[in-house]
Amino acid sequence: MEHSALRAEFVAAIGADAVLDDPVSLRSYECDGLTGFRVVPEFVLLPTDTAQVAAAVAICARHTVPFVARGAGTCLSGGSLPVAEGVVISLQKLRSVLEIDVENRRAVVQPGVTNLDVSKAVAEYGLYFAPDPSSQQVCTIGGNVAENSGGAHCLKYGFTVHHIHEVQVVLPDGAVTTLGAPSPHQPGYDLLGAFVGSEGTLGIVTRITVKLLATPTAVRTLVADFPSVEQAGDTVTGMIASGIVPAAVEMMDALALEAVEASVQAGYSLDTAAALLVELDGPPAEVATQFAEIEQLCKDNGTTKLVIAPTPEARAAMWKGRKAAFAAVGRISPNYFVQDGVVPRTRLAEALVRISEMADEAGLRVANVFHAGDGNLHPLVLYSEQAGEHDRAEHLSTAIAELCVDLGGSLSGEHGIGTDKACSMPRQYSDVDLATMTLLRKAFDPDEICNPGKLLPTPRLCGDRPGPHRAHPLEAAGIIERI
Amino acid sequence: MPPTTFMPTTVEELRDAVAGSATSHPRLLVTAAGTAATTGGRPDPADAIVDTSALSGVLNWTPADMTVSVRAGTPLADVQAELGEHGQHVAFDAARVRRGATVGGLLASGDGGPLRQLYGTLRDLVIGVTVVLGDGTVAKAGGHVIKNVAGYDLAKLFHGSLGTLGVVAEVVLRLHPLPRTTATVALPADAAAAARLGVELIASGTEPAALEWTSGTGLLVRIEGTPDGVHERVDAVLATNTGALVLAGADEEAAWTAVAAVADPHSEGATVLRAGTLPSDGPGFLAALGAAADAAGVTLTSGSSVGVGVHTVALAGGHHEPVLAAAHAAAGSSVSVLRSDGLAPDTPLWGPPPPAVALMRAVKARFDPADRFGAGRLSSWLAPLHEGVPA
Ligand SMILES: Cc1cc2nc3c(=O)[nH]c(=O)nc-3n(C[C@H](O)[C@H](O)[C@H](O)COP(=O)(O)OP(=O)(O)OC[C@H]3O[C@@H](n4cnc5c(N)ncnc54)[C@H](O)[C@@H]3O)c2cc1C
Repeated sequence: MEHSALRAEFVAAIGADAVLDDPVSLRSYECDGLTGFRVVPEFVLLPTDTAQVAAAVAICARHTVPFVARGAGTCLSGGSLPVAEGVVISLQKLRSVLEIDVENRRAVVQPGVTNLDVSKAVAEYGLYFAPDPSSQQVCTIGGNVAENSGGAHCLKYGFTVHHIHEVQVVLPDGAVTTLGAPSPHQPGYDLLGAFVGSEGTLGIVTRITVKLLATPTAVRTLVADFPSVEQAGDTVTGMIASGIVPAAVEMMDALALEAVEASVQAGYSLDTAAALLVELDGPPAEVATQFAEIEQLCKDNGTTKLVIAPTPEARAAMWKGRKAAFAAVGRISPNYFVQDGVVPRTRLAEALVRISEMADEAGLRVANVFHAGDGNLHPLVLYSEQAGEHDRAEHLSTAIAELCVDLGGSLSGEHGIGTDKACSMPRQYSDVDLATMTLLRKAFDPDEICNPGKLLPTPRLCGDRPGPHRAHPLEAAGIIERI
Repeated sequence: MPPTTFMPTTVEELRDAVAGSATSHPRLLVTAAGTAATTGGRPDPADAIVDTSALSGVLNWTPADMTVSVRAGTPLADVQAELGEHGQHVAFDAARVRRGATVGGLLASGDGGPLRQLYGTLRDLVIGVTVVLGDGTVAKAGGHVIKNVAGYDLAKLFHGSLGTLGVVAEVVLRLHPLPRTTATVALPADAAAAARLGVELIASGTEPAALEWTSGTGLLVRIEGTPDGVHERVDAVLATNTGALVLAGADEEAAWTAVAAVADPHSEGATVLRAGTLPSDGPGFLAALGAAADAAGVTLTSGSSVGVGVHTVALAGGHHEPVLAAAHAAAGSSVSVLRSDGLAPDTPLWGPPPPAVALMRAVKARFDPADRFGAGRLSSWLAPLHEGVPA
């Protein structure tokens, strides 16, 4: 469809101010957190309410124009990468907390509200929103729903899918519906459960009823150093075996610690092979008992230094270091890829050994920061574009994700498949599995205009026989570019 | 003539039975232990029964990973017994489990028990699934790791599907450690007081594992954790209410048996409803049903998970239809009928459809285009499908 005619329809529906198509504005939407992939969209739309989102989507549907919903654009898998000749529908103007229901511990929010702002809005009632991705200051609830985002505390509290009661969705044909119910008893297919984590491919969320939890009465946090990654790992195994479910168990290796200290001075040691950050929360006596057990487990496994946060400020500092880890890697390497594979916890040690061997073979360094309690790795492959290491690093990064699958795990624990890992999906699922997943997509979006090319491999993206290590055909065709 | 019954013991046998019967036995009814045979709409006559109860056994369990995969026809109670040997369990306790309900059946029926307060339902615990569709497709989604966002979560799609999309063949579940100690405190309360107490207990950081109310037991608060942690919280609960009582031994067991009896009554002639509401709307919902019951000469027995707003109501005596109508009026599509013995055969069992019913139909049409599975179980919501399957 002709640009100007489409433009006129959008302007009529949502107003001229809300329709961007000048090159400078469009450029600022050309990528998400996976900055290697860039596509300039044809339009960026800034609707202000559900009706405008629905109107915009209806126009796209009428003309079969692909669209991509966008929150804060922090996605790390290219999920919010625009589609060429497509439309970006930004939810940034839908950012109100609409309702707080203290008695029923829930809040109704618009999708553009940031994760942290939800918790801030309800803090005065002793409540909070449990999922806490490290990007929580900027990422949006809509993005969290789309990605089923996790966070450091999801070992005990689960992921976004466990903390959503209902969502209002604009479907790919422009119809508005609601998924979910006020209680866990919702007869019929769990469409909400299937929608959460669908990476923006099934519709646009315009209103979310989030579940809130009572702020834990007690919280205790420690950082323990270990002379080896194995000893840190054994400590975690010990915790699980004794029936403790910590709120969070994070592990960092020497390279990650070096990066973090160079960046935020969180007080981590620089002369240790690995450090564990462990947090317990809950009722005071419970926390006290189990915290003592964890201290003992750390000692039994040869911890060389154990620091307990004496104050909430000290705890915040410990977390600041961990949450800044990705960005901090920029201090020790000009460029990096971050992976998000998961392995069964019992195969963690094996995975780390393999990763370090693979890194050696590739002549690159890999820093490891990960959620040790659930086997979700975040290997950071360090490289230099300038030194021409890009392809080698990308290879290694993909190989690490696929290694996780081979060890019985998954390509992604929380960052999503997006554009980045779509072509690796056949490693984890058979053609039949993927075809069956496509049935769900088609039920929601028969014309595949809603965030096409993400999550599921397509011949266009991955070639006829999808597989790893291919140059991105869109890149070869000059449709997307890489910096 | 009794319908044909397929009793596969493996996924392959299941696939062959389904694929091989497409023309000879197009309409299939999936069954397992039969504990939810009456849940939802009345099944239409089928050409064959796919009985999954021989599709059983634990497939893979690595205690240190805290996950287990099982064939769908495995009774959950059997799984729990095995897991218990290593101090683990599936944190799920629907009353039907005591009657031998299978993992696949519990998932497909979307059931839940008191532990839904802290752990949710199976949709919150399932991490992987293998399903068999009407054309013999064997597909899996999810996997064996707790944290996994790769691909669509089809396990959740099959939650509550009542055998209308395909057959759940294998299920992977997340496990939790068995609590070191549990304790139950009983608080005398009517429905309204129980809902209020629930709000207070949750707000005060008690972290109850279950908050169950029935008219017979009052409010039961189950607390799990370390011995001293449980002790501390039990004291806190006792301090809130002079009538509060710690239940132990046989008394504790009897109280929870009573809760299960309300949630899963299987006496002949009863009608049993399950409904979800906002927690704070629970007392009003039960009051509305009570008023309708009084007018219709019906005696109600009710129970609620007050912290999350799920209610089970058994009807005895009188005319049951007006009470079901009152439930539909108050809680809409969140009402399911678990037993319909006391309802006239032509009573519509489902209430108004949920807002996303069109999507439900689209999903049904994609996954089961030949309409082989579970006809009737979700009618009238899926009914228009019979008039023509969308392309
Ligand atoms: C430094 C850093 C740290 C991070 N740490 C974590 C972490 O700890 N855990 C974690 O899980 N993730 C983490 N992430 C990833 C990212 O922040 C999350 O995926 C987040 O949920 C994305 O939110 P967003 O608003 O930025 O979404 P976007 O990037 O804008 O979009 C993400 C996807 O959601 C879709 N989408 C956005 N809004 C909507 C909507 N309203 N309706 C439908 N679809 C929509 C988009 O189309 C896209 O597919 C991190 C990212 C960064 C940059």
